[in-house]
Amino acid sequence: MISRRALEIATAALTGIFGVVVVVSSIDNGIGWSSAGVDAGTFPFLTGIIIVLGSLYNMGQGALGRGTLAMVRVAVTPSELRRLAGLFVPAAIFVAVIPIVGMYLASAGYVFAVLALPKQQSVFRAIAIAVATPLALYVVFERMFQVSLPRGALAAAFGF
Amino acid sequence: MENLQSLLHGFTIAVTVPHLTLMVIGVLLGILVGVLPGLGAPNGVSLLLPLTFGMQPVSAIILLSSMYWGALFGGSVTSILFNIPGEPSSVATTFDGYPMARDGRPTTALATAFGSAAFGALVGVILITFLASWVAQVALAFGPPEYFAVYFLAFASFVGMGGAAPIKTVVALAIGFAIAAIGIDTVSGSVRLNMGIDELVKGVSFVVAVMGLFGIGELLIAVEEEFQARAVSSRVDWKEVFRALGRLPRHSIALLRSAAIGCWMGITPGGPTAASFMSYGIAKRFSRNGARFGSGEAEGIIAPETADHAAGTSALLPMLSLGIPGSATAAVMMGGLMIWGLNPGPMLFVDQKDFVWGLIASMYVGNIVAVALVLLTVPVFAALMRIPFAVIAPLIVIICVVGAYSVSNSYLDVVLMLGFGVVGYLFKKLHYPLAPLVLAIVIGDKAEDAFRQAMLMSKGSLGIFFANRLVTTLVLAGIALLLLPLVLQIVRLLRKPDEAAHEKVRII
Repeated sequence: MISRRALEIATAALTGIFGVVVVVSSIDNGIGWSSAGVDAGTFPFLTGIIIVLGSLYNMGQGALGRGTLAMVRVAVTPSELRRLAGLFVPAAIFVAVIPIVGMYLASAGYVFAVLALPKQQSVFRAIAIAVATPLALYVVFERMFQVSLPRGALAAAFGF
Repeated sequence: MENLQSLLHGFTIAVTVPHLTLMVIGVLLGILVGVLPGLGAPNGVSLLLPLTFGMQPVSAIILLSSMYWGALFGGSVTSILFNIPGEPSSVATTFDGYPMARDGRPTTALATAFGSAAFGALVGVILITFLASWVAQVALAFGPPEYFAVYFLAFASFVGMGGAAPIKTVVALAIGFAIAAIGIDTVSGSVRLNMGIDELVKGVSFVVAVMGLFGIGELLIAVEEEFQARAVSSRVDWKEVFRALGRLPRHSIALLRSAAIGCWMGITPGGPTAASFMSYGIAKRFSRNGARFGSGEAEGIIAPETADHAAGTSALLPMLSLGIPGSATAAVMMGGLMIWGLNPGPMLFVDQKDFVWGLIASMYVGNIVAVALVLLTVPVFAALMRIPFAVIAPLIVIICVVGAYSVSNSYLDVVLMLGFGVVGYLFKKLHYPLAPLVLAIVIGDKAEDAFRQAMLMSKGSLGIFFANRLVTTLVLAGIALLLLPLVLQIVRLLRKPDEAAHEKVRII
């Protein structure tokens, strides 16, 4: 179970870290006024500062349990977390294997795994959807819009 | 009169067989994303965007805007038949639409909703027809300081009137600016914020951001809230459709008031969702049948639907004439405009007459097409709701992945997209607003350029933002909007604490 407070603090920390990164890397570009006008780093530097300050405020509000959603104590229940992971983890694996096996194989495998393994659908229907998906991608992208999708290292090894 | 002539010329562009076909496709796809929970107008338009890169700008914008109309209509279908809003902006339609449908009058509810929605859209389009070119003409005289002031006003109004926690809005805006700054700086040519990753030199395309934020992010939200579709009968009785439409003029005051609220909220970046809620609330307070709202009252459907569509349509006015989108969907479309090589803003009305008036004419035609199609396809799409979410979800993930990749054939974009998905989920969950984030990604660079050019003109003095009456008014209005939440907070503290607690409950 994830409490709302923890989620607020974590999100504010995330935005805050992004803000710090923005501030640090914009200092490299120079901030302030030079002969060519406003330096390239000035605008990002200011936005970075705003992000950091705003994140600190949001973190404080979250930690104190104030703000518009103060009544909601629990952000994610265990069963919700399981469903979230059930969607996100396979999607992340799908994205991770694209450089190896290519978009077509990866998408077919992903669809099959998501539909057949948790017994959401019958195996036959899962296979049908898993075959239809890359075919549809091929027709729409490669044929109609001439966007070539990655074929992956595996296909390259076989000389495609 | 010149406007009418241009509009007629626009009709000759919009009413051609290929464009009518695109409208039908766009509207059908729009109804589809509108009906499917977890997908809405902004996601639909961003998912479709990569496919439009090779098209003529007019054709592309007709396809995307038709999808937008379709999504607005589709969202109402599920609100009324299933009590599940397909779109955030049609939440208010469930209040009276679903009770009416449950009482055995689904056709009446649907026809009332579509009729008033079409009226709202019509008012929005008429407003655009007559005001857009005038606003653009005024804006042609703008210099960099005026432009920055207008951008500032747009950002400030998100903070002041957006409805989310003000500091969260500010953080979302600033993150958008920082993301827009990644890559090569257009003024000095130096590389900014690439954080040591060479590939980031090309910058982060807003398409990648919206795919993740709206596509994956909303999917995660949708999968978390397990939903079950329990439909009332979705058969359409045609005689009742015309009877219900015939009864609409009786509610003309509600129609006009809601359309006015919608147009106002659409032009200022309040957006369709805020507009529909506000219109419902006001109708409830002023209607003679106010007490019966919530039990299937026709006016309870008319008010949110009219305002929703009026706001959705008029959100395109500032996008076209000033280059500032009034809603998240408009922001995505504006990003599209830039990718197709157009420069949104007043110059469009000078350089791209065919594009502008073709689009405006297509709004009239597209909305008629949308009303007809949505009525014809209600049973089909109602049946679609029975496709299990488990099948739809992986397909949406694949569309997002392929879409992000196809922007610039880069694998990094796919990974970034997934990252934006997590951010989108967290932001949505904790009520950080996404619209200002997208807006800042799309026009962050332009706002920064305007600021820096203004600074060059004034040799670094901020006084240029108070140099003439126009720019001073804009800047002061912006500052006032920024401070509005603070003032409200103080007022609330001065009142009794228990009243303040009530206020809080109401906001939720």
